[in-house]
Amino acid sequence: MGRSNAGVRTHGEAAGTLSRGPGRLLIAVYGVFALAATARAAFQIGTKFSEAPLAYALTAIAAIVYVFATVSLSRPGPRWYRLSVAAVGLELVGVLTVGTLSVVDPVLFPADTVWSGYGRGYGFVPLILPVLGLWWLYRHRAASSERAPAQARPE
Amino acid sequence: MIVDGFFVAGTVVCLVSTLLCIGAAVIRQPPNDVTILAVAAVELFLLVYLVAGIVRQAGGEPVTGEVWEFWGYLLTALLIPVGAFWWAILERSRWSNLVLGAVGITIFVMLYRMEQIWDGAMPA
Repeated sequence: MGRSNAGVRTHGEAAGTLSRGPGRLLIAVYGVFALAATARAAFQIGTKFSEAPLAYALTAIAAIVYVFATVSLSRPGPRWYRLSVAAVGLELVGVLTVGTLSVVDPVLFPADTVWSGYGRGYGFVPLILPVLGLWWLYRHRAASSERAPAQARPE
Repeated sequence: MIVDGFFVAGTVVCLVSTLLCIGAAVIRQPPNDVTILAVAAVELFLLVYLVAGIVRQAGGEPVTGEVWEFWGYLLTALLIPVGAFWWAILERSRWSNLVLGAVGITIFVMLYRMEQIWDGAMPA
């Protein structure tokens, strides 16, 4: 953390590489969405849950996924790496499933969620974010195999 | 929503702040005085907006939407430049300037919502 010998290391070799460089921006955007979805879920469930329980429960699930991904992406180590893949993967599945359902059957979601219409209400960022997240994780896949150095490619 | 002085001023501050930060990232600068002051300007605007909000409410100006939702947005918004500053200076790379640049965009969206709550939503 905060060390300045960047450039000496090879890609994805060391702990904490996920939160370096472009990863910092990625985690910052995740943080903003974690905040926004949490606040929105708390507001919807606190004031009008009975109006659209399914939609508001989904907002809450999205909020949990965003909060979890923000934390796991900013932590070093293979365990957090795997949890990040799970969280970001779940996010992608969520936005694709809810997005498709909301387009095919709008009656199912009378109220908007973060993931309705593939995140249309949020500038499609909810759709782009997990793709970028998985790409970023894939680029740093060596961080997932710290205990198996034999897999490290000679570069 | 009425486009008032606060909205115009806030939009200009956020836009200039974001453009300066993105510009600094493009020319591969780490966070410097210019980008940190640009984010500080957004925070300063929010503090002025906070004081003005207190004065307007104390003076009996009506809020169309939920009052506590307005304050929830504003108090959260006040934390964002501080959090971004902390996250950005932990690693002084050009990418950190994009983190700082995200502040202006985020605060603009939140300001838009706050103005909607205060004046009532525009017919969509």
